[in-house]
Amino acid sequence: MLKTLLRSAAIAAGVGLAAPAIAQEAPANPQCIAPANPGGGWDFTCRQVGKTLQDLGIIPTTMQVTNLSGGGGGVAYAEVVNKRDSDDNLIVAASSATTTRLAQGAFPGNTADQVRWVATIGADYGIIGVSGSSDISSLAELFEKVKADPRSIAFAGGSAVGGWDHLKVLLAAQKVGIEDVRTIKYVAFAGGGEAMTQLLAGSVQAFTGDISEAKGFVESGDLKVLAVLAPERLEGWAADFPTAKEEGIDVVGANWRGFYAPGKMSDSAYDFWVGAITKMYATDAWQSVMEANGLAKLNLSGAAFKDFVEKNVDEIQALSRQIGIIR
Amino acid sequence: MSDRILGLVGLVVAALYVWQATLIEESFITDVVGPKTFPIILAILMAATSLYFILRPDKGPEWPTGARLFELLMAIAVLVLYALYLPQVGFVIATAIAAGYLTWRLGSRPLASLLIGIATALGIWVVFKLILGLSLAEGPFGF
Amino acid sequence: MDTLASLADGFVIALTFENLALALIGCALGSIMGALPGLGPANGVAILIPLAFTMGLAPTPALILLTSVYYGCMYGGRISSILLNIPGDEPAMMTCLDGHPMAKKGEAGLALSLSGVASFVGAFFATVGLVLLAPQLVRVALLFGPAEYFALFTLAFATLGGIASTNQAKAAFAAALGLMIAMVGVDTQTGVPRFTLGEVHLYDGIDFLVVIVGLFALSEVLVFLEERHGKADLHEPPKIGRVVPPLSILARCTPTMIRGTVLGFLSGVLPGAGASLGSFISYSLEKRLVDPKGRTFGKGDPRGVAAPEAGNNAAAGGALVPMLALGVPGSGTTAVLLAVLLAMNITPGPLLFQQNPDVVWGLIAALFIGNFMLLIMNIPMVSLFARVLLVPPRILMPVVAMISFVGVYGISGSSFDLIVMVAFGVLGWLLRKVDVPLVPVVLGVLLGNEMEVNLRRAMTISDGDWSTLVGSPLAIGLWTVAFVGFVLPILFGRVLKRRMRRRMDEEGAVID
Repeated sequence: MLKTLLRSAAIAAGVGLAAPAIAQEAPANPQCIAPANPGGGWDFTCRQVGKTLQDLGIIPTTMQVTNLSGGGGGVAYAEVVNKRDSDDNLIVAASSATTTRLAQGAFPGNTADQVRWVATIGADYGIIGVSGSSDISSLAELFEKVKADPRSIAFAGGSAVGGWDHLKVLLAAQKVGIEDVRTIKYVAFAGGGEAMTQLLAGSVQAFTGDISEAKGFVESGDLKVLAVLAPERLEGWAADFPTAKEEGIDVVGANWRGFYAPGKMSDSAYDFWVGAITKMYATDAWQSVMEANGLAKLNLSGAAFKDFVEKNVDEIQALSRQIGIIR
Repeated sequence: MSDRILGLVGLVVAALYVWQATLIEESFITDVVGPKTFPIILAILMAATSLYFILRPDKGPEWPTGARLFELLMAIAVLVLYALYLPQVGFVIATAIAAGYLTWRLGSRPLASLLIGIATALGIWVVFKLILGLSLAEGPFGF
Repeated sequence: MDTLASLADGFVIALTFENLALALIGCALGSIMGALPGLGPANGVAILIPLAFTMGLAPTPALILLTSVYYGCMYGGRISSILLNIPGDEPAMMTCLDGHPMAKKGEAGLALSLSGVASFVGAFFATVGLVLLAPQLVRVALLFGPAEYFALFTLAFATLGGIASTNQAKAAFAAALGLMIAMVGVDTQTGVPRFTLGEVHLYDGIDFLVVIVGLFALSEVLVFLEERHGKADLHEPPKIGRVVPPLSILARCTPTMIRGTVLGFLSGVLPGAGASLGSFISYSLEKRLVDPKGRTFGKGDPRGVAAPEAGNNAAAGGALVPMLALGVPGSGTTAVLLAVLLAMNITPGPLLFQQNPDVVWGLIAALFIGNFMLLIMNIPMVSLFARVLLVPPRILMPVVAMISFVGVYGISGSSFDLIVMVAFGVLGWLLRKVDVPLVPVVLGVLLGNEMEVNLRRAMTISDGDWSTLVGSPLAIGLWTVAFVGFVLPILFGRVLKRRMRRRMDEEGAVID
């Protein structure tokens, strides 16, 4: 499952997937497509990576950022596959939302093998929490309650039913032995912030989201993080939270950010981009950007990233089929 | 009369909408209300108001006929063509043609229309592309 | 006093040359982008993010620039509403209803300056509210669970009856149409596509900017074409009239502005409701209150301009409350601002005021400064803005149409959206012909998803028990206002009207 996959990924990264030397020429007109309107996560992925690459002199010119929104990234995906399949200048922002949608067939007619996966630039690990005033104090205890009466606990998350925030809860529920995970009550909100507000308002009992969304509320005492869905404890302010694994619930949920490139991009251009992102990831400049954005470490590139995506897609497909989101 | 037609169109739209709503594929996990209920309520509301129009129509407006209708259809065609070919033709050329056509049909003389069209296109290009930095359609010549 | 001291510190931060210059640039650009149809505050702010990045601005100056753009847009939206009957952005939609009739009557100058003052009042007092009440207001936002939101949105639709006084059925038809359009796209609850006809472009739903620009701007072009039909331009520019509002009118509009400010601010504070609901409710309640029979509203009543403008600018300030204090964006624009904050390593949330006081108070001080700048910029420039009316429509209309296209294309990069926009242009023209009001359509598109989704959330939480919809005093209160204030008058109003007509007929018969 995800865990093993992430572990293998971590090993691959840890062992040091040696950064390919940047021998290739930089593309003349580097361009990044953000598959959403300005201001969203994908837009920031493009803009910040573009700026950092230029500041570091890895690309000689400004990265042109083009917003191409629609279909939760599906419009951009189709555009790249159909029209810009051999463009050497182009990379496209992606995240686990991209692979989740690919896995669930939400980009009609498109599959994950139609593009080349470049590299990740970090990840945001999932958390499950309850209101600060709640008397539930561990993840195991929360799921005991769910097991006893699934209707007693409503989970709030920022993604749709079958989306990433929901799947994290279901993965955990499977691990604790809840047979029919479909009985779990999940309420979808328009984003982590809204879900958090409803937790504070008392409309729901539990929150599922990402660690970066939780910081302010943990410090104010409004949110109690029961577990982080990371392979091991995080660094920094979040170091106090137990991992789900420590609680005996062996689940890892990482919302990664990264890039893909057109499927017929030349090998030399692909190597350039893989090298460029890998080199950038290792710099202090990027480490501070990651810290500023609440991104944890996840450094995958080239073939390792491709494997990661393939496994990720397979796994989400299996789970989605099992719970009946897809047939 | 127009209201009666509006009512009929409303009924047809509502019926099609309900039909489409029933086609929504529900997954095994769904909420209590489900994705179909609210749309069907809306379609019923539309059907009810449409029936009202059929039973108690207001006085109808004057519809354009002949040349006037052709005028409108031409304008719509120009706008559709503009939307379709903007990415291929490029912003400045497409906009100059479309704006020129509209200003001509609104009463400018032909030569003036051409100039107004070009001026409009260039003006917008400068503001949006150069000042605000939006990526407009580039076309074969890069503008 | 702590607050005042903090605010004073904020002014120290904001009153540097760089920050003042940024505020000025932001206000000016914002006003322009607000006035251009197709570019609203959300897009306006988003467009300038790269600029803030490339200029390498620190968090506070960057926020000052972007919030100045935000406030500027809220001011600017009214200009095209009044002059062209085309809302510059969605919250300015209600300003068309009385603003454009005023311009037609030769009072364009008055409408512009009065709405400028109303904008100032709304934005100024909303900022004061932000300073004094932010922590308490967060509690208000927390009173609203899904059931209460559903009641609130239902109330908004109930007030529609008050707006379109001619034919209630047509208003209801328009609202249903708008809501049905809002349903298009991937269902946010279950993730299944609805009414998309298998078209990927429709999975995200139809952008309300595309709808509003199509319905208002393009249909206006079509109306002109139909009237003009290639004939020479017989344009007689309407009079601009006086540009300084007389004190008597200001005095008459003061209570209106206060009511608009309060209502707008409260809707702004509620995440998901936002500025459009603020201006809408301000207008419709004002109309219900001072002109229930519809004698002057909709025909160029200055109060019909003051109410929505105070409302939408106050909502802009109100929307900053949940953004700063909860990290929850109350509108599209604050969602973008929030993303900027996060990118600058500032996590909004309950502790933001303690942890980053320089950012918060610098921002608030900048809002005050921006507000005064906007007032000063807007009032003397009224006569300049109004010159737009001197441009003959044969030139103006194509320019408006093209700007609309650019605004939409520049943001989404999708020519599919442009086709949809043309389709809405044609639809808008047809609806105008058969006298179906456009405002409820846009309101439906704006609020439809939130309304449905909150109903479904409430039902999920209650396990399918419908009584949850009236399960709190607040929800019951909202339903009561909707029913007593708006539904009953429609039902009884008709009976009363019929009776009166009958009596008049009888009297007439006697006289004959």
